[in-house]
Formats: sequence, C-alpha cells, structure tokens
Amino acid sequence: MAKESFDKEIQFLRMLLLTSGAFSRKQFAERLGISVHTFDKTARRLKDILLSIKKEQAHQDSLELNQFTRFNYYETSEPLLLFLFRAKSLKESESYRLSVLLSAMQEQALSATELLEVCNRLFPSEIVLPDEKTIRSDLKYLEEVGVITREPGGRPIRYRLHNEIITQLTDEELLDLYDYVDVMANTQVPSVQGYMLRDNLKKMVKQLHPAPVFTERFLYKYHFHSRILDEAHLYTLFQAIHQKRKISFDYFTPRSGTKYAAQNTNPLFEKKSTGRKEHVLPLKVIYDHQYGRWYLLAHKHGKGMVKYRLEGITQITEEDVVSVDVFMQQQEQLAESIRYSWLIDTGRPLKVKVRFFNPDGYQPNFVKERVSLQGQWGVITEESDDSFIYEIMVNGITEIKPWLRSFGSSCEVLEPAFLRRDMIKEWKEILSYYESVRENL
Amino acid sequence: MNPFEKIFNYQIISRLEESGTIAITSHERTWLKTMLAHPAARHAFSEETLTKLQGILAQVEPYDLSGGFVEKAKSQEKQIYHPLLRKFRGILVRKQGMYITYQNRNGKTHLEQRGFPYKLEYSMVKREWYLLWYHFRIKSFMSTRLQHVFSVREHPVSSQVAQETIAIIETSLEMRKEQAVIEVVPAYNQELTRILYAFSCFEKEVEYLDQADTYRIKLFYLEDDREYILSKIRFLGTRIRVIEGKKLQLRMYESAQKALLRYGISMRSPETSE
Repeated sequence: MAKESFDKEIQFLRMLLLTSGAFSRKQFAERLGISVHTFDKTARRLKDILLSIKKEQAHQDSLELNQFTRFNYYETSEPLLLFLFRAKSLKESESYRLSVLLSAMQEQALSATELLEVCNRLFPSEIVLPDEKTIRSDLKYLEEVGVITREPGGRPIRYRLHNEIITQLTDEELLDLYDYVDVMANTQVPSVQGYMLRDNLKKMVKQLHPAPVFTERFLYKYHFHSRILDEAHLYTLFQAIHQKRKISFDYFTPRSGTKYAAQNTNPLFEKKSTGRKEHVLPLKVIYDHQYGRWYLLAHKHGKGMVKYRLEGITQITEEDVVSVDVFMQQQEQLAESIRYSWLIDTGRPLKVKVRFFNPDGYQPNFVKERVSLQGQWGVITEESDDSFIYEIMVNGITEIKPWLRSFGSSCEVLEPAFLRRDMIKEWKEILSYYESVRENL
Repeated sequence: MNPFEKIFNYQIISRLEESGTIAITSHERTWLKTMLAHPAARHAFSEETLTKLQGILAQVEPYDLSGGFVEKAKSQEKQIYHPLLRKFRGILVRKQGMYITYQNRNGKTHLEQRGFPYKLEYSMVKREWYLLWYHFRIKSFMSTRLQHVFSVREHPVSSQVAQETIAIIETSLEMRKEQAVIEVVPAYNQELTRILYAFSCFEKEVEYLDQADTYRIKLFYLEDDREYILSKIRFLGTRIRVIEGKKLQLRMYESAQKALLRYGISMRSPETSE
C-alpha cells in the first residue's frame, strides 16, 4: 500500500480556515481540485476525528466543520488544527490493542507473554485476540517511537511506559512544565510536537485539578493558527537537507486556482493533475513571521535557486544524495544571497533610508519601539526630538515596502528615489478609495 | 520523524484518555529538550526542577536546525516567559483577587490597587506579556504590561465576587467588539491567500460574490485591536479597501492624507478644507 498522504486534508483545512464560509461545497471542491464526493468524504472524516477528540462537543449534533474555525479567543488557546496530525488511519482492532497494551504497562512493567495474558483477559469477544508475534511487533514499534522502555534486568524483557517527565515531577513542577510547554509551543516554531506534549500534560494536570478549577490562563494574541499545517512536511525536508538528498514533488503555485489534485488511484474520480513536477536539492526552510507562512529554498538544475511555498508542495519523494562539496557550495551561495532578504527576496541589495516621526505630545514612543522590535538588521543613524532616521541594506524593495507603509504618516521614505515615488503613488490611490467616505460626512 | 505516527491516531488518544494513560513519544521529548535550551527556561522553573528535567532528558538529542532552517521578519524577542506568570498562575487557578502595584502607559505608578486578574495575554507582535484584569475602585477592565507590574499579592475574594467580576469583564469585552468589512480589490484576487493569511489571526467570515468575482472579509475584533488592524490594512496597501466600518475608513483617509503631506503633497479639496 502506498504511504498514506495527508496532502488533501492539509489543503482542505487550510482553505477552510482561510476562507471560512466563502464557498459552496461545489466551489470549495473545485478549488481544491477534488470531486464533491471526495469533498464530502474528507469533511466527514475530519469531523469524526474532531468529535472523537473533543468529547465535550460531541453532543452538539450541529457542530459543523466551518464553525470550529470561528474560534472564541477568550475561551481557549487550543491549537485549532492540531487534530490534523491525529488523522493517521488505523484498524479498529489495532487502535484497541495498542491502547490496552499501553494502559497495562502504565500499571507495571510487563513482558510480551504477560501482555498476551492481559489481552486474553480484557479483550471483548468481537475483537480478534492477538498472537504473541503481533504483540512483539507492537512492542517494537512502541519502543521505536519512544513511548515505552525496557526495564533493566535479564530475560524475559519487561517494558514500562517511558513517561518520567510526568511521574518524576511534583504536582507543582508539572504545572510549571505545562505552562512552559504551552508558552513555547505557541511562541516558537516548530511546534507540532510541543502541542502534542501540551495535550498529554493537560490531561495529567486535569487529573490533578479537575474542572472547573482548571482554566486556560494564557492567551496568544495575533497568532497564526494555520502555521502548523505546513509542519507536516517539515521533517521530511529537514531530513533531506541533513542527508544532502534531492527530492521531487508536485508543486501547485499558490496563485493557481487549484490547491491539490486527487491521486489517480480511483478511476471514478480521476482528475488531470495540474501540479508541476519539480526535482530539486533542498537547501533551507524559511519561516516568515509576517504572514505565518513557510518557504523552501532549493537548487534546481539549470535554474539555480528556486523558492517554493511549503503550502504548494505535495507528494514529496526522496531521490539521490549529492556530494558534500556540491551541497556546501550551494548552501554558501544561498546564505550569501539571502543575507539581506527582508523575507526571501534575492534581488540586488540596495540601501533604504527612511525618516520615522515620533508621536506627538507625551505619548510613549511606540513608533521607535516598533522599529527597534521589527526593523531586523536596520539601524537608527540620526535622532532629533521629533524624528529619527533608519537605514537598512535590503534585497529589493518589494518585501520591506508593506512594512514601511504600515506606519502610515509616521514614515517618510527618503531613498531610493523610486521607492519614494512608489509610496506617493500608492498613498494617492489609497486616498482615492476613501474620498467618498469623507464627502459623505 | 513523522508527525503522523499511528501512536498519535485519534482513536488511540481517545481510548488512552478514558483509561487515564499518558504516552509520551521521543518526538515530544526531543522538542522539549530543544526548548529547555532556550534562555526562557530559567524563568519558568526553579533551578532544582530544571536540573531534574535535564537529568530525565539527558539521553535525548535535541533538534539540530542549524543550517537548514531560518526565521525571517521575526520581532526581536524581548520576553518569552515572564517570571510573574508563575505568581499569577496560583491566583488565577484559585480565582482570587489581588493587590497590585503597577505603572500605567504614561509612566505613573499606582500603589496597591485592588483588582481581579482575568487572563495573561501574550502579543505575538509586541512579543511581550500583558495582564488582563479588573480594577475594583475605578470599575474598569485593564490591560497592563507585566513589565510594568512591580508587585502583586493575593487578596481573597468570595467565589460570588469572583463570578460576578468575571461576568462584568466578559460583558465589557462583548461591548468592545467591533466589526468591519474589507473587500479585496478584484485586480488583486491572485493575491487572495496572502491577504487571507494576513487576517487569519482574527475571527472572520469570508464572502465570495460569484457574479462580481469579488471577495469580502468580515472581521470581528475588539476596539483595542483597531490600531493593529489599521496597520495591517496599510500594510496591504492598495490591494484592499474597507467598505464597512466608518472609523477605519476615516482613519485610512486621514492616514493617506497625512502621509502625502510628509512628501509635501496637499490633497485637500477646497470644499473640505477649513
């Protein structure tokens, strides 16, 4: 069986979150490049997962997928889309068996034979009893993912849960850990594994402090919920970079209407793939804090450096390894060309010089505060009572321009002249958008 | 490392929850080890706890992201974990009141004010923590930088007072809600996802007008967020237009006019000038 891919679910959730309610089923399916039937199936499956995790909402028959994306900020800081990573399909008997084994090993360390006895005792008649070989292979898997560990001592080998970070901490320490994990998962990237850990710790904390005492205490303002979707591909890419390995994938440029193409495994729903096949050597993954988006920078034969948005990458396959020399040379070139990128622009570096105006009166100087917070490697070169000059070397003006414009009248571009002209032209156009509003007053 | 491991499967998770079993993978330990290396860890744990955690994770290899990963346009991280978070946790969990000494935004210090803490809020943009609380004497909902909180001590309130105060806070939050409609200028429809990403941190509804091939984004936000929304609207520039929301529209008009004045261009039409 082909490796299960979650590209469809990822694109589905992204579109759901971003376009919340804009499209009918048909329009939504069309844009995703799937049939309405597949759309319904995917929606049902994701809803099932959501309901089985969020039991408290299960009684609400009316829970619709697009409602859950309308979050209530003050109620919870739960990661909305984490449930995507719970979507791996599993046979009922296997999920039952693995959870029975784990629960038994939480009580005490057990050997494969002893676990078999536990299964004999606990399994209901409708679920097929495993044999010892199956149990041994389950144990091997669980040890590999690190949820169990071997007890010291001779044969037979006994296993217990590998959860000292919970069992060895006092209640108070556990709360400290929960808070820290919550803060770091929300403020740092990558974070999917942190959210998984947060889920686990939360269960533990809830056992210690049953509701209604347990409340979410921390909120994260201006948080990009969709950023975790792209972490699905992150480790495949990190691994390829680490191994200096080429990859290939189907790429859907974000500007094309379609976000995904169904695999032609089922002739009934066959669709012509509109993705573009890419063969590249991955060099660097970039996270852009301005929009909460991810990029891959890679070297493509005959094209040089190419940039991809992670959200357009589907069906990654690993290919050949390149030599250390080739890889290092490409990486150095890349490092040099993005040195002055505000985000990922690799255009010609130029100097941008801007005057920022301090706010009037006795207000705190939020303009300067924001410039020093967000101005990356730019420096303040001159200061007076009412303004200051900021200078930065940057690749092209496209990426820095929105940031400068966001300061409104607190910012005047001095150099280069063409950016100054651009800015004037854009403000004139923006003014024209609102002239009628002014007239109507 | 596969983020879609079968151990993360939803049926397993929900079964384990029923039996109170907690299974932690090496993925999670690796992540934690990486995060414990962050300087913020020193503020989050006592030295003893931190040593204990590091001991438990001694065998774990943290991520090596050097070379393969870089973050761009990141605000300077002034503060990630504030030492006062631990102090407030106890008060919040017990739903108690407090005496707080703090400095307001103009630098004036207020001593030992009686209040009720509601939540702690981290701004991903300003990269710092705020205390959201209710000030009993002046009867108002406050947001104070933790950096500006000099001292706090717990002061008991009855559970009835706690409940009533939370209700007052929530009503006042409800009353501060505003909404606006933003239209994507159709010529920029190709940049739709970029624009939607920019607003994805707000509660919103998107409408697609089939005939006109036009997208409209209805935003719901608190009045305190208006300045931030305005900076986003200016950020996106000519791509979008506020079509509902008088306050935003007027501010955009003024902003454009004043920005042009910086370049020595006066666009006041004679009938509107004073």
